[in-house]
Amino acid sequence: MPGQHSSVDSAVYLLGSECKKMTSEMSLLERSLDTTIKTFHRYSTQEGNLDTLSKKEFKQLVQRELPNFLKNESRNEAAINDIMEDLDTNLDQQLSFEELTMLLARLINASHEKMHEGNHPRGHGHSHGPGLGESGQRH
Amino acid sequence: METEMEKALNQVIEVYHKYSTAQGNHHALYKSDLKKLLTTECPQYTKKKTATTWFKQLDINEDGAINFQEFLPLVIKVSLRAHEESHKH
Repeated sequence: MPGQHSSVDSAVYLLGSECKKMTSEMSLLERSLDTTIKTFHRYSTQEGNLDTLSKKEFKQLVQRELPNFLKNESRNEAAINDIMEDLDTNLDQQLSFEELTMLLARLINASHEKMHEGNHPRGHGHSHGPGLGESGQRH
Repeated sequence: METEMEKALNQVIEVYHKYSTAQGNHHALYKSDLKKLLTTECPQYTKKKTATTWFKQLDINEDGAINFQEFLPLVIKVSLRAHEESHKH
């Protein structure tokens, strides 16, 4: 479980979810969560505690992985720090996967809201416009 | 261009609608829709509770259907379980 850095540990962390199932056997939801977890570990294993994001790791994750979802924030270090403070509910200056998940859920919701902007109803005749990070028309 | 992670987040929306558009209001998961979603998408993380129990817990406004926002707590719970699993070998 979470400890200090060693390259072997990092490799094991990164392999983790891959050991379970082949990607082709996974459901859409599992593939989506697998990507999220692997991305989290790619940053969390860079320094310090292998299973949490330091301020620096979180900043890099936001800038490299969420540049469209957090378009304005990712260019503004103070805004990134604000988000981190908001998510760091146990005040340890680190973000656990659990703490990060709260941001991801909010972003999923924001993207979904965007898909329903304009003439894209939710109920009868349901349709979506582009979500966050997407260009062009959807279903 | 969206990143892999952004694409993954948008896929969660796709998962919801795959089941919510099956019948009735297209923005509602009825109990049978939810059951299908649980058994198809994430049985290993949700099988400790019945679909009925999940449904009761997620249907916060008790209107007999899970809207998109009510679906998100399930996504959070399954994410946390999947993350725990990623550390077990």
